[in-house]
Amino acid sequence: MVKAVRGTLVKCDASIKAMLVDIDNRNNNDFIIEDLDEEHLLVKETKVATLKAQLNQMLKERLKDPEKEVSDAED
Amino acid sequence: MSASSSQALEYLEQLPVQTHRKLYEQPSTVLAIFRCMLPQMAKTIVMAMLYMPTPFPAGGLDAWFRPEATKVKKEALYILEKLHITVLTQDASRQSACSLYSGFAKSLRQALEGSGSHRSFGVPSNKPEPNKVSIQFLDEYAQRQWENILFYMVGSTVGFGSSVGQEVGKGTKSLLEAGDFVRMSHGKMNITRTGFSFVLQDTNAQVWSLLIEYLRHASQLGMSETDVLNFLFMLGSLELGQDYSTDTLSPTQKQMLEDLTAFGIVYRSSKTSSTFYPTRLAVTLTSDSGALSTTTDPLATGGASGPGLRSGRDATATGFIIVETNYRLYAYTSSLLQIAVLSLFTHLTTRFPNLVSGKLTRASISRAVRTGISSDQIISYLSAHCHSQMQKTTPFLPETVTDQIRLWEMEGERVVTSNGYLMKEFPSEKEYRDVVRYAEDVGVLVWKDDANRRFFINGIEQIQGFLKREAEKRKQRG
Repeated sequence: MVKAVRGTLVKCDASIKAMLVDIDNRNNNDFIIEDLDEEHLLVKETKVATLKAQLNQMLKERLKDPEKEVSDAED
Repeated sequence: MSASSSQALEYLEQLPVQTHRKLYEQPSTVLAIFRCMLPQMAKTIVMAMLYMPTPFPAGGLDAWFRPEATKVKKEALYILEKLHITVLTQDASRQSACSLYSGFAKSLRQALEGSGSHRSFGVPSNKPEPNKVSIQFLDEYAQRQWENILFYMVGSTVGFGSSVGQEVGKGTKSLLEAGDFVRMSHGKMNITRTGFSFVLQDTNAQVWSLLIEYLRHASQLGMSETDVLNFLFMLGSLELGQDYSTDTLSPTQKQMLEDLTAFGIVYRSSKTSSTFYPTRLAVTLTSDSGALSTTTDPLATGGASGPGLRSGRDATATGFIIVETNYRLYAYTSSLLQIAVLSLFTHLTTRFPNLVSGKLTRASISRAVRTGISSDQIISYLSAHCHSQMQKTTPFLPETVTDQIRLWEMEGERVVTSNGYLMKEFPSEKEYRDVVRYAEDVGVLVWKDDANRRFFINGIEQIQGFLKREAEKRKQRG
């Protein structure tokens, strides 16, 4: 029988997906419903905003913030 | 039909038939719709049918067209039908016949012949005006008011505040917010994606965009939509530099005058004045592409002598931006409006009397992207305004720069999300294929995985219906 699962499809590249899965693992698998393929995840609709916020937090820690580059650009 | 009036046409098309009928009572409205909204072919059809005493068989219409022109014919007839200008009737012998809606035909005849006593083309004031204003004054006034609005949208985002010109009226502000051209967040106003494309349009299209927003909210302010539309179309038929009497206007239209004064579309010497002057923004509202040099560029031709603030379109003809392959940007402009637009996505460093220079940086682009401006909008703005020296090469902008702008934009958007349903566990390959194809056709398919027979859709009602129908079919067969 055909099944329909309500949720939010998240499309991202593989590196971001790894981070999302990491966040999910650290939060008792509370976010992801199903791991679809390399670039797609099915996420609980109510949790998308929290997941995004956590991802941004993680990115900020690991990557250089573009805002800080303003002084570099003034060459 | 010019590009700018096409959005007006879109708005008109979705109005109900009762509104259309009421609109067609005014000859000026009918003439304006006929002149600038209808495509050429539709005009020809209307003209041919205007003085026909009786409906004529729809079959006869086919005889007017060559077989290869059916597409043009269909388009024209589709618009005429949507606007309820033509009416299809069935006569006694069940033959369908075509005629113009009588109200439309009557008003158009009146407009062309100058007959009737409808006064819908405005009543010139017959009192001698001691301090009559000149056309040049009107142009400057219109330009100042309109640029104020644009500058309000752009300037507050980049932090210029409203240091230039006077403050924009409260009504205009709430209108811009209602139309989602600007958005308040944390007590600070920011331009939105819609707002940015609005700023980049030519002036005539901008006026229409704003007026259509105005129309959408007219009923909330207790104004009648038909009255507002009639007035706008009437404005289009007025003469620049002539003062018109307010005596014949309805209460709604008098209320409108105040708002239109704020936009710079009409000018009144005082709030209680019994006359008003249409400005160039008003009289070009319903001009068609025939008067292109003045319609797309009313401000540039009008107030050419205005120093300082100049309209965005003004410099388009020549172009003023140079972008180098090292992301440096030079803009030959002294217009604060243009500088403000540029600073939305450029890191500007130096300003000279006739030149600003700066650099496109990752920070400046990602800041723009965060406010909702897309890389395509930035690129199209730059290439539309690039200097004539740069226009010698194709594409105008260095490819390294355009590619990098796109890459910078993608950096900011790590994930794309869409809400909906995952469909899975299809019993057979055939059933899976049928449903996927259906989902694709109705445009709800977001993602599919053929190997595992599952796919994601952003709307389920139609798919549910489809699955139900399929199940019933199978039941009947089995």
